[in-house]
Amino acid sequence: MQIRVQCGCGESSCPEWAVVELQGVVQPQASFAGDIRGLHIGRLCASPSPSSASKVGYTFTVGYHELAGTKVTLKKPLLVLRKKKVSGGAGDEEPPSAEVELEVIGIIRHKILFKERPKALISKPQSKEKKAVLPAAN
Amino acid sequence: MDAEMEDAGIQTEIEWDGGGGGADAVLGLAGGGASVSLCYHQAFGPHDDLVLLEAADDLLPDLLQGRVIVRGRPDEEAVLCTPSATYSMKFVGTSNSMFLIPPGEPSAKYLRPDDTSGNANAVAATIKLAPGSIELVRVAPRLDKLKSLLRERPYILDEDIGNALEHKKGLYTWQDLCKLIQASDGELLDALNTHSAVEIDGFWRTVDASSVNTILDMILHNSVLHDWPLNAMPENDVLSVMESDGFTHKIVTHCLNRFGTKVEQEARSFWSLDEKRVCLQFARRALGAGKMKLTNFMDKWKRSIPSGICPDLQMLEGEVLCEKLGAETWVHAFSVTDLPLAPAERFAALFRERPKWDWKDLQHYIRDLHVPGVSSEGLLIKYTRRTQPNAEAEPIFTAR
Repeated sequence: MQIRVQCGCGESSCPEWAVVELQGVVQPQASFAGDIRGLHIGRLCASPSPSSASKVGYTFTVGYHELAGTKVTLKKPLLVLRKKKVSGGAGDEEPPSAEVELEVIGIIRHKILFKERPKALISKPQSKEKKAVLPAAN
Repeated sequence: MDAEMEDAGIQTEIEWDGGGGGADAVLGLAGGGASVSLCYHQAFGPHDDLVLLEAADDLLPDLLQGRVIVRGRPDEEAVLCTPSATYSMKFVGTSNSMFLIPPGEPSAKYLRPDDTSGNANAVAATIKLAPGSIELVRVAPRLDKLKSLLRERPYILDEDIGNALEHKKGLYTWQDLCKLIQASDGELLDALNTHSAVEIDGFWRTVDASSVNTILDMILHNSVLHDWPLNAMPENDVLSVMESDGFTHKIVTHCLNRFGTKVEQEARSFWSLDEKRVCLQFARRALGAGKMKLTNFMDKWKRSIPSGICPDLQMLEGEVLCEKLGAETWVHAFSVTDLPLAPAERFAALFRERPKWDWKDLQHYIRDLHVPGVSSEGLLIKYTRRTQPNAEAEPIFTAR
């Protein structure tokens, strides 16, 4: 069996995707369970890094947690592939999984990586904090 | 990862047009306190139909110009093939949360009113959390199956073509082979050449050994009759004489290719027979499947070879093994082309044949092993134990 990797966008105009990566998981409060679509996760902010003036640092504020991170250029880019079924072509007797195609729909060259443990923002004290679990919305 | 890409249709997932993420807002975020609000996309979900593939820069042109194909049967591990190379596909999971943010205009109106920041600032939306990505590692093509497929039905002179085409069992077109063999097009074509396969009536086939012998004999016979020098046989004459003897251009050209090289001279094509390849064919015929005393074999071999060609035992390296039994040396056929291509199986087969190998014999049975990123020294260290009784002695290789 063969699956062709197609690309509709061409080499120069492949749309670039962004990635925000952090350790652990972001957990919405129980009241949002089941429907988190459209829910605000946090605010991503660019600021001159405290360590070096030339490099832009980022903060990501999720609930009462603040994460500090940097923009990383991936050594090997990631391609975003989308599986799709190809209609027609195959005969009626073909197994249903036969004709699949992969389409390149985007490329990821950079990610904003937060690898530090979150810092608690204590200006608004809140008792519900857990170490690895960040409330996504409040 | 599994070769079979499963259909990922999840009924409850909201239709997503591929955009609405605002990746630019995230990537373009500059210093000076600019900010973006990150939210879950209206169509956020598992989106199992989206996969991430890690691709080094040298692979990008092939991937982005549609020259890449994933090959493998449902029971095999999938490989990714560029026109010339094969890569294994390994899914590497991550425990981090990787929010994927697609491009396109995001719409701020989806934001819930509980965004306390108050300003109508830029918005980005994540469509899914990526569980990991697929890594590509260059591997040797998986060609072992090709040998057995090609052996199912070798081409035989005067075979009943009509009947053969009706029953296509054991016959494979290029497209069939592409579906069955996990190798890039380039590597598959090289392997077909290595196996001396030829495309006849659309099917890739090897030619039965006795048919090859018949054709070679006929070419040599005609070369004497027509005074063709063996290093410059005029192509047009050879083809037309052979055709009148009942051999098609296709099969004669295949044999000329197999035993010689084409030389263009003054706008004419000539074929020069390669002594080594011709001698090897005669050696195989002389030896057959059994064992022979070396002296008997050499007599029989030399007598069978057309005059003007000088046989030498060195021509048979990697094809024939000599062993001393008492005062006599015996020979038998043991061809490197019959051995498995995967290193572990190759060495297992070699040590089944002989528990101990001298380097001078062994080298000819591993020269065709190519594993990306591993040298032949590395293979020897991994699969053999090297012993050297003293510094001057030849090293001996045994199974590890």
